[in-house]
Amino acid sequence: MPLYELGVIIDPEIPPEDETSTLERLEGIITDAGGEVAEKDAWGRRQLAYPIRKKNYGVYHFWKVNVGGEVLEKLNFEMRTNDSVMRSLILNMDRELRRKRKMDAKYEARAAKKAAKAAAKAESSADED
Amino acid sequence: MRPGRKRFRRRVKVCRFTVEKINYIDYKDVDLLREYTPTNGKILPRRVTGTRPAFQHKLTRAIKRARFMALLPYTGS
Repeated sequence: MPLYELGVIIDPEIPPEDETSTLERLEGIITDAGGEVAEKDAWGRRQLAYPIRKKNYGVYHFWKVNVGGEVLEKLNFEMRTNDSVMRSLILNMDRELRRKRKMDAKYEARAAKKAAKAAAKAESSADED
Repeated sequence: MRPGRKRFRRRVKVCRFTVEKINYIDYKDVDLLREYTPTNGKILPRRVTGTRPAFQHKLTRAIKRARFMALLPYTGS
């Protein structure tokens, strides 16, 4: 199952139990489909860069989610129709990080090559002595 | 130096992402993205910052995502 990153902004003016029930509902959709929430990152109340629905604050939650792609439609529908969710964004992290992994490998290979070269040089200079 | 002519030294521009080997730009990293958006909220061109094209593309996407999530403004105040 691909790894997704889910970001939601919850309405700050709703009662806290509504907030938790909304989040539980989202998590329920994920776990019902056999997925899991791998990481939860709650930023809490934060000032928005611009007002959304005439509100200047929002409660931010970011989750890393392991779930099948077919569930996204359900998730998006829930977030769109749920009044306490002001904004949401789902990213496919596998796709996002593909380039990063490739580049990490490249940097690593380069570093290994450099180290090998340095080691060879040290050896040859040791031979001369 | 002729009088009346301003002397200026050109700063060497470097791509921060190449130097620091940052190869994924996260839209949640607001402090990083702020450096590429002046107070008017626009994205600084690579002509100004010296960012490599590949990273400029990623930076742009990250900034636009951050704007959607109200982490960065669309326009300055």
